[in-house]
Amino acid sequence: METLRLYVELIAVRMRSQMQYRTAFVVDTIGAALAIFIEFVTLALVLTRFGSIGGWTLGEVAFLYGLTESAFGTMDMIFSGFDPATFGAHIQRGTFDQFLLRPLGLPLQIFTSEFVSRRIGRIFNGVLIFAFALANTSIVWTLPKLLYLPIVYVSTVLFFGGLFVVGATICFWTVESIEVINIFTYGGTTMMSYPMHIYNEWMRRFFLFIVPSGLLIYYPALFFLDKPDPLGMPLFALFLAPVAGVGTLFAAFALWWYGVRHYTSTGT
Amino acid sequence: MISVQHLCKEFKVFRHRRGAWGAVRNLITREARVVRAVNDLSFEIARGELVGYLGPNGAGKSTTIKMLTGILVPTSGELHVNGHVPWRERKTYVGRVGAVFGQRNTLWWDLPVVESFDLLRHIYKISEARYRENLDTFRALLALDEFLHTPVRSLSLGQLMRANLAAALLHDPDVLFLDEPTIGLDVVAKERIRQFIQQINRERGTTVILTTHDLSDVEKLCERVLMIDRGKLLFDHKLDELLRRFGGERELLVDFAEDYAEVSVECARVVARDGLRVTYRFARDDISASALIARLSERYRIADLSVREPEIEATVRRIYEERLLEQTSNREDAKHAKTIK
Repeated sequence: METLRLYVELIAVRMRSQMQYRTAFVVDTIGAALAIFIEFVTLALVLTRFGSIGGWTLGEVAFLYGLTESAFGTMDMIFSGFDPATFGAHIQRGTFDQFLLRPLGLPLQIFTSEFVSRRIGRIFNGVLIFAFALANTSIVWTLPKLLYLPIVYVSTVLFFGGLFVVGATICFWTVESIEVINIFTYGGTTMMSYPMHIYNEWMRRFFLFIVPSGLLIYYPALFFLDKPDPLGMPLFALFLAPVAGVGTLFAAFALWWYGVRHYTSTGT
Repeated sequence: MISVQHLCKEFKVFRHRRGAWGAVRNLITREARVVRAVNDLSFEIARGELVGYLGPNGAGKSTTIKMLTGILVPTSGELHVNGHVPWRERKTYVGRVGAVFGQRNTLWWDLPVVESFDLLRHIYKISEARYRENLDTFRALLALDEFLHTPVRSLSLGQLMRANLAAALLHDPDVLFLDEPTIGLDVVAKERIRQFIQQINRERGTTVILTTHDLSDVEKLCERVLMIDRGKLLFDHKLDELLRRFGGERELLVDFAEDYAEVSVECARVVARDGLRVTYRFARDDISASALIARLSERYRIADLSVREPEIEATVRRIYEERLLEQTSNREDAKHAKTIK
């Protein structure tokens, strides 16, 4: 409870300091939203010409796209402190020491060390694209589907958070490979925005069994859109999103604490 | 208060090969060399002491401070501060210590100073009354009022140091670690910070460990000096003992009343002569200043005189450069070895 109160208080501080740069906030928000929107419009133009991607209509792809974008945007805001670029800078400049000098839990301090509220632009855009998807698909909304949708959304946020935390962990050893980490996080979102069966076999296996991103958006989408599973996974694969999300984040934090121990024994 | 026994810290240093091929090889095999940054360090510091921790760059000073503050885990040895093992009980421990690492800001960059303080009140769970009391004291001692409502990012370096010092003490820590607290400051700002540290140490009994390159900090603040080099403790004595042993030669400036042809005296040499004014140099082990003056005034009529102490700065530089302490300890080691035989 005390932790939650401090969290809210420290996040409020971040928000207040960002409000001091209001113009930058507005420009960045609009810029980020515009970038995603243009990306989606490009996709839409390609799709209207070819009709479908792997048998999925524009509305159906927009379902994946909108859900992925809004979840990633939310994660990018909440996990700002774990963004490898931000976190790596703390390691590089030695300011991580200051977290160790405060009588607070480390995750609480990292979560509140940064809060990029302009990511709201990306979230808003994702929601718009998702609304477009709802208007252009004929999803039959049942109670299980209505209950599962927020679970899928939260699980995906946690999953992406896990990727950021793993990226941050690598920074304990090297800060030279931030670009490589970005391939996994940003590349991962792009990948998840498309139906998974268009990728080749080894990629599908990798994104189901190693980094389980396929279980977060694609498989739940099969359930929402009442589509058959072209990959022949067992039926419960449709409902593994929370397991994959929570599991990834959990494993990521276990790794991160290992990184902290490495840091306190080497100081680099 | 602080007890350090046989403390060691080893680091693995990897050799970095250059070039594209080197980078590939770095990934596969890395040549590691083990470096002992802190080597069998032992000392005790009592509650309320103000200790100067000195050593040349790379001597292991900051590694020691990092272990004392719980940032680094020792490779071996014992370390207790106020009954705590710093790294093992990090959260409880750091709630009872304060630290200011020179030129490193711990306050919220975009917030006014006073709002940062207010956040620290929540983080350290300081009671409202105690917080008020401390803030009022620090406002007066450090003249915080001129910038209390200024965002931290707009503070001058001197103001930033004052704000950080106050921030490190709001929660009444038992121990205060200061790493180069006066670096980059002008004379007036340095003096203000020194006075503040002294006052906190005397009035609150806060134990202070101070590392610095500015020896006037040490001269004005510290009674006791720990000096390390290459991870080993070389010296642990009172400040005047340091000067006595390694202070080099003192100078006596004499203005004679008459022009004497011969002005030499035992135990001192004439290093300069300019009309009636003669400068002598003498070692403190050979003769005391008063004995020398007495000896001179027996023979000559003196109009005026003054004694000049060697500067601590020069003294310590000499200790580092000539590795005086190492020679002494080696000699002692050799002696010790002989007696064992």
